[in-house]
Amino acid sequence: MKVLAVMVGIPRGLLFYRFYWLWKTFLEELGVEVRVSPPTNKAIIRRGLTYGVEEICFPVKVFLGHVMAIQDEVDFLFLPRMVSFHRREYTCPKILGLPDLVRNLFGISSERIITGEVNMRDTGIWGWRQGFLEMGRRFTRQEGKIMRALKRAEEAHKRYREKLKTGILPEHLIDRREEVVPKEKKVLLLGHTYLISDSYINMNIVQKIHTLGYGVVTQDMVDEQRVRKYLSLLQKPSFWTISNEIMGTALLYLKERDPRLKGYIHLVSFECGPDSLVGEVIERWIKRESETLPYLRLEIDEHTGEAGLLTRLEAFVDMMEWRDAHLESNLSSSLAP
Amino acid sequence: MRATFPHLLHLDVALGILYPTLGIEIVPPPPLTRKTIEIGVKLAPQNACFPLKVTLGNFVESIEKGADTLFMAGGVGPCRFGYYGQIQRLILEDLGYKVQFILLDHPRYGIRSFVQALRTMTGGKISPARIVRATALAWKVLRFTETIEAKRRALRCLVERKDALDRVVEGTLTRLRWVESVTALEEIIRSTEEALRALPLVREEGEVLKVGIVGEVYVAQEKRINFDVERLLGDLGVYVHNSVSTVEYILHTLPFTRSREKEETWRLARPYLQRFVGGEGIDSVGSAIRYAQWGFDGVVHLYPFTCMPEIVAKGILTQVSKDYDLPILHLAIDEHAGEAGLITRVEAFVDVLERRKKTRRKSEVGRAWTYS
Repeated sequence: MKVLAVMVGIPRGLLFYRFYWLWKTFLEELGVEVRVSPPTNKAIIRRGLTYGVEEICFPVKVFLGHVMAIQDEVDFLFLPRMVSFHRREYTCPKILGLPDLVRNLFGISSERIITGEVNMRDTGIWGWRQGFLEMGRRFTRQEGKIMRALKRAEEAHKRYREKLKTGILPEHLIDRREEVVPKEKKVLLLGHTYLISDSYINMNIVQKIHTLGYGVVTQDMVDEQRVRKYLSLLQKPSFWTISNEIMGTALLYLKERDPRLKGYIHLVSFECGPDSLVGEVIERWIKRESETLPYLRLEIDEHTGEAGLLTRLEAFVDMMEWRDAHLESNLSSSLAP
Repeated sequence: MRATFPHLLHLDVALGILYPTLGIEIVPPPPLTRKTIEIGVKLAPQNACFPLKVTLGNFVESIEKGADTLFMAGGVGPCRFGYYGQIQRLILEDLGYKVQFILLDHPRYGIRSFVQALRTMTGGKISPARIVRATALAWKVLRFTETIEAKRRALRCLVERKDALDRVVEGTLTRLRWVESVTALEEIIRSTEEALRALPLVREEGEVLKVGIVGEVYVAQEKRINFDVERLLGDLGVYVHNSVSTVEYILHTLPFTRSREKEETWRLARPYLQRFVGGEGIDSVGSAIRYAQWGFDGVVHLYPFTCMPEIVAKGILTQVSKDYDLPILHLAIDEHAGEAGLITRVEAFVDVLERRKKTRRKSEVGRAWTYS
């Protein structure tokens, strides 16, 4: 008799967009069937809003909605506690407490949640492996098998990150959606991947920017080593990995000017703690270093209206074009011999 | 060098004793008022948490009073507090203030800058023995300011005359500013205790409602920010205990100085929240459970609006509240919080607690009667 495979659900939210391939490969190598919650829709958001904590940031509410959407269809929920995936750094407190939040808010028993603390903060790769070992032990006793699965998963993750560098967005890869054609003029679209890559909650911002005649560059498309190099310009980088990548990317394009890059758009969710400070650092650095690059901070939450977002984008594009036409040409003509 | 530092309840009393002994001239931060908050709110990033804004307002007011060096602590995250200094430095630089920002950060961000900051903050040339002696006195004073505040919030609902209680406490706090030796401090402690004992009580501890306060270290303590919730509760006849303390907060940053009480709090929180999530998130959960075990009638959870660790705690406290049958009032504080609304909510909360206590007592009496 064939034993039915265990079904494990991954909610589509937060770090999902970064680690999808890693998690999926890891679980599948352990002989588990993986199911991902459907792309965000109205019903999911409504559930997240109703059953989440009122003041928590929008992406976490969306995540909780995804948990609700998938919890009845699967045997286990996969909620790794990604405390840190870079030395000396953390993810945000909400991600640190995510498995506990899910457990306490929805009354899901601990047995149904597969979690393990992945913490590279002090112990580096050792802490990373420990976390996955802890989770793998839920399915098999053979540590060798878990480590092999992790190795395969890491390779898949590396390939995934490489593909993102070519200018593809995670959601296009994950759902095999149609990619956007590259454009000559670009904006740097900064922000957490779970905002940039969920075209339902960001109201299709990439497509909107594209229609207005610009392509986007995100921090996932930039080489990590270079990002880290520019991050060290700061007296003290922050202690949140993704925010550091955002800051590093912003600084990189500030120092290494790319003439095709016409402006910065920073997508933040209204109650995001790290971004409230990091956005300030970026804005102040841009003001100090550059006269020509405009910066737009777009806040997104459950109350954001699509029309308002479009208006702000259009106004920003007008400004980029005006600055491009006036400031740059003046600069070059005055410098001309 | 004319140094200054941010407010945290009575921290200025302790530091005001410490620095002059170390030979550092200080500009005591001007009292925290509406104006301080306004300045901070205007300059700070809009979505930053409230303590950042208030301490920034503090700094600006001190600079205008003539301070040229700012002392601030850093951190390693994941709570935003560890990054306050960097943001505030950027903002003050852009404003054109020519000040030196001395950030005491974790040694992992550079041992040299840590030692240098520590040296500047302790005055450099003075002998270590003298530094230790001065610090010990300041530390004792800080501890005593917390003890006396604890006494005040516990006694407020019991004493006959609340103004007499306030007079004793305020008088002691003023006298503490001029303390020069441990003997003088002990004398103050003794006379204060005597004065407090002399206050006539009209009620006993057993018959009043008991409420515990949990939350973020700044907002849960700083009464000039949280609309003095403790006083409000006391005036409504509630015995108040506050689980948040600056002394504990400082001790807890070093692993070998953590108090047993703190470890115990974390252990209590574990079934609900398995790990530290930055700030005081886990302490809030653990302390609420402890209050439930102590038989308190309710808990007030105070935190800055959008505070990340406390929001995690809030989500988890809903379950704690159900499991322990413990009413919890969540109060998010920021510049938009209105006093009238807050008072109404606290009053309603106390009404609920009173009614619960009455019905429970009634049902107990009823049960006793049927069984007898």
